[in-house]
Amino acid sequence: MSETPHQFDETLLSGYLDGELTQGDAQRVRLHLEECPDCRNATDELHKLREATMNSEFRVPDDTQWDETPRGAVSRFLHTFGWLIAGLWVVGIGAYLVWQIATGSESLQFEGMLGFGVLLAVGLIILSALIDRLKVRKNDPYRKVLK
Amino acid sequence: MSNEVPASDRALLVSVRAGDKTAREALASRIGRSSYILALQLTGGSETARDIAQDSVLRFFQHLDRFDADRPINPWLYQIVRNRVRDLGRRNRLRRHESLDEWLEQGRPEAIDPLADPAAAAERNDLRRRLWQAISALTDGHREIIVLRDYHNLSYRGIAEVLSIPQGTVMSRLHAARTNLREIIEAEGETFPHQPTNRGPKR
Repeated sequence: MSETPHQFDETLLSGYLDGELTQGDAQRVRLHLEECPDCRNATDELHKLREATMNSEFRVPDDTQWDETPRGAVSRFLHTFGWLIAGLWVVGIGAYLVWQIATGSESLQFEGMLGFGVLLAVGLIILSALIDRLKVRKNDPYRKVLK
Repeated sequence: MSNEVPASDRALLVSVRAGDKTAREALASRIGRSSYILALQLTGGSETARDIAQDSVLRFFQHLDRFDADRPINPWLYQIVRNRVRDLGRRNRLRRHESLDEWLEQGRPEAIDPLADPAAAAERNDLRRRLWQAISALTDGHREIIVLRDYHNLSYRGIAEVLSIPQGTVMSRLHAARTNLREIIEAEGETFPHQPTNRGPKR
């Protein structure tokens, strides 16, 4: 005996339309539809809506709209190399300053201030980038899209 | 079905990874179009959709080397697009929701049925415009699940992946969305005649 409309789970109608039900559930829906004009009508209406949706077409801009070349191997290499040079420069300046302090050079004050200022600036930039990276890593909504 | 990887997608992926520039352009074109249409359907704005599509293409290629070629592209791509749309929404930079019907392509019934009645075809086009007006009026959650299933033809499994919800929730949410859409349309006194399918194989 089939189910009455009150007992019937109408969400199954969508699963039936989409072919996403198990064989048992699909058979259950078929039996119900044979005896329930309301659900038959609802299924028919949902079917028409789905067809109208899938038959729609949208205007799409031509391909030049999104032909930005994704960063390639050369770009990635230059980016990495640039940061490597910057890092080596910072380390070099730092080492030079330490050497100046250790040898008690007369020009220590000027060069020390210069070196300290540059190091501080670069340090802050790096720290800023690091903070951004950590924040992105923590909240990155795209990390789940990766396998 | 949508959970299978179309041969063309797999072949493109393999070629792109092998350094084929033509394949890279073809893949960029294919995912750019898909991204644009989904972004347009979710935001209603052509300019916003274009930005999102460009950004999605870049993100897609940035992470391509970590993507499993045995998996279908679309759920992954649509998740990128959807996340980007949500990002913009959170930052209140999203203009919601211009009516989608403005961007609908006029139907070409002669390509489907040479004997089609022009008047009937015009009526169908008009009904489609009204349908997308109604879809624009849905909540974000209902709109996205309807376009993912009924336009982009994702399986329930694919939709669950894109929306990060259990597969069992997909059917109930989709049914609620369709029921809501039906109510909106009925409230406007519209009915939809049966329409022949004029789209190619589902993506």
